[in-house]
Amino acid sequence: MSTYNLDVYMPIVILIILALAIGLGSLLIGKLLRPSNPNKLKESAYECGEEPVGTAWANFNVRFYVIALIFIIFDVESALMFPVAAVFKQFNQVGAGGTLLVSVLLFISILLAGLVYCWKKGDLDWVKSFNTSTKLKDK
Amino acid sequence: MNSTVASYFAQSKEFQAVVVFFTDLFGFDATSFVSFLLFGAVATIIVGAMATIGGLGTYAERKISADLQMRHGPNRVGPYGLLQFLADGVKMIMKEDITPKAADSFIFLIAPLLCLVGVFATLAVIPYSSGFILSDLNVGIFYLVGMASLVGVGIFLGGYASNSKWAMLGGMRGASQIISYEIPVTLSILAIVLLAGGMSMGTLISSQGGMPHEWNLFHNPFAFIGFFVYFIAALAETNRAPFDLPEAESELVSGYHTEYTGMRFAFFALAEYIEVFVVCAVAVALFLGGYKVPFELGSGQIFIDKIGMDAMIAKNIGNFLEIGSFMTKTLALYYVVIWVRWSLPRLRVDQLMTLCWKYLTPIALFNLVGIAVWMWLFDGASLFTLIFHSTGSAGGH
Amino acid sequence: MFANTLFLLSAALTVGGAFAVLWSKNLMHACIYLLASFFGVAGLYAVIGADFLAATQMVVYAGGVVILMLFSVMLTGGSSEKINRFGLEKIPAMGNKKTLFAAGFASFVAALIVLKILAQFIKHYDATPMTANLPTVERIGVVLATDHILAFEISSVLLLGALIGAAVISRPRREKND
Repeated sequence: MSTYNLDVYMPIVILIILALAIGLGSLLIGKLLRPSNPNKLKESAYECGEEPVGTAWANFNVRFYVIALIFIIFDVESALMFPVAAVFKQFNQVGAGGTLLVSVLLFISILLAGLVYCWKKGDLDWVKSFNTSTKLKDK
Repeated sequence: MNSTVASYFAQSKEFQAVVVFFTDLFGFDATSFVSFLLFGAVATIIVGAMATIGGLGTYAERKISADLQMRHGPNRVGPYGLLQFLADGVKMIMKEDITPKAADSFIFLIAPLLCLVGVFATLAVIPYSSGFILSDLNVGIFYLVGMASLVGVGIFLGGYASNSKWAMLGGMRGASQIISYEIPVTLSILAIVLLAGGMSMGTLISSQGGMPHEWNLFHNPFAFIGFFVYFIAALAETNRAPFDLPEAESELVSGYHTEYTGMRFAFFALAEYIEVFVVCAVAVALFLGGYKVPFELGSGQIFIDKIGMDAMIAKNIGNFLEIGSFMTKTLALYYVVIWVRWSLPRLRVDQLMTLCWKYLTPIALFNLVGIAVWMWLFDGASLFTLIFHSTGSAGGH
Repeated sequence: MFANTLFLLSAALTVGGAFAVLWSKNLMHACIYLLASFFGVAGLYAVIGADFLAATQMVVYAGGVVILMLFSVMLTGGSSEKINRFGLEKIPAMGNKKTLFAAGFASFVAALIVLKILAQFIKHYDATPMTANLPTVERIGVVLATDHILAFEISSVLLLGALIGAAVISRPRREKND
């Protein structure tokens, strides 16, 4: 048996189990109480009263994917920065704050360069300036 | 390290007596088992309290919006309509549970549960008081960020599973909005972690004091800006107006939960209202002094010294004061969130993304650098200390 | 006691999730099973006392990578059609009995070999009791800020490369179409 004190993780497990129990439990209890008389109209997707056309699972714009990619990169960056940030105060107290500050600044500035690059190239724009819109702008 | 609600109660004699009782009963060390029971009880209490707060949140939302629009709001069920949320809950259970035929029924069930799990799991590290925190993990705030991101997955899957165009658009918007705004939130949190020198909720709060000038909010100008960056981004992360594009009723019918009825819809709503509470609680813990009470009343030491009270009772009184302080600040922020919702118009999608990537993220990065430089220059002293000391030395001459 | 429970839960979640990913014929369902598997891995990290790693697993994988995968599945229009617009079959080919048998046998053999190599270490395992939950965050931070500072900086260059790469490949190539 492990000698780590893992009791601190108990509440997390309990809370997850509670969430699932409340969710599934109230659905099950509801099953006894609620009416169930489905018909074709009820079971169709809502499309403002019209009959639904086709499926909603269509190809989506690539910009969502780019957002997710940039998000992951910043996520990894923050994951790397968190432990360093947590010890910054201690380093500062022993007088090594300056060197750590320089390395943190270097780390951030390299990433900032990437952000600036994306910004300048227009990758952060939601509405991409295609030819039509630039023409409109020129007029 | 890693203090929990169990380690707080372990100081009392009753806890030891129960442990001894179960140890005799089972024949092995039952500390872990008793902690489990205690955690289970406290977790149930917290979940119950949070469900009530979530329910009252819906009531408060309607009542405050009514107030702001010079209407009455719900006032039939119970005094001032207070029991409206219970009536709503009963109604939700009794409603027919419709799964669209075209929907992916497995994901249709999983998505609201995922939202609920993500929000409930974050409750484990919310510090209500110095003793009443379910688990003060070393990585507390980072864990919270990770768990909260599950809600984004839940919202996306909810939109996907419905196989309705409105829901799909809402889910897609919701997920991209949540992950985008998670970056300014994380960066603001990172700045405060750098300021406080630790990631556990205990460390983050103990770096502050009870009086407003000891809060991280007024520690330095960067933290002051950081609070607003965090708050705006957190509003967007919880899909609250003016950032409620995933459920924008004027364009997307009801967004990602268009096809959801009854209890499944209620889970989404409950998750949203509890998440608002969690977000406000984190704002309080990081910036507004957390559970700290002025004049160190929270530790209960003053009662022991002045009145000669029993140590455990004094501590309990201190903890109740701390819970009061924490809840007051959190609920005040909750009011602000609702207030904002009913005051500001909704943003457009491109404005939303511009705000995140071109304003909040650079400002948050700037704050991070600013706080790092501040910590190095002034040795972690707050603005107030600097002014106080400079005037003090000036007066001395 | 609780450590064993947590281990069994996480291990079951990891392995079960991984198997379900292979077995599932629906890409979206596979993503959810993968999320469960990631959760299990986070739990396993927690069991060995690596709390920061567990949280990172949650933040980066459960929060980020799963969303990325869901989005990338949506790029091909979800799982409504079995064949995507490039004419490739979307259903993963791993989920049949033949491949699972082969993979199971292969991993069994591999596990035997690994165990044979590890046996000498396991036999001489020094079971010094660890003190309760050491704060791994600070140790990781100190190590990152002193010994491995170069790796820390270089990782930011790697992230920069990934950021620019992501931006470049996703940029719409409008000029060619016009």
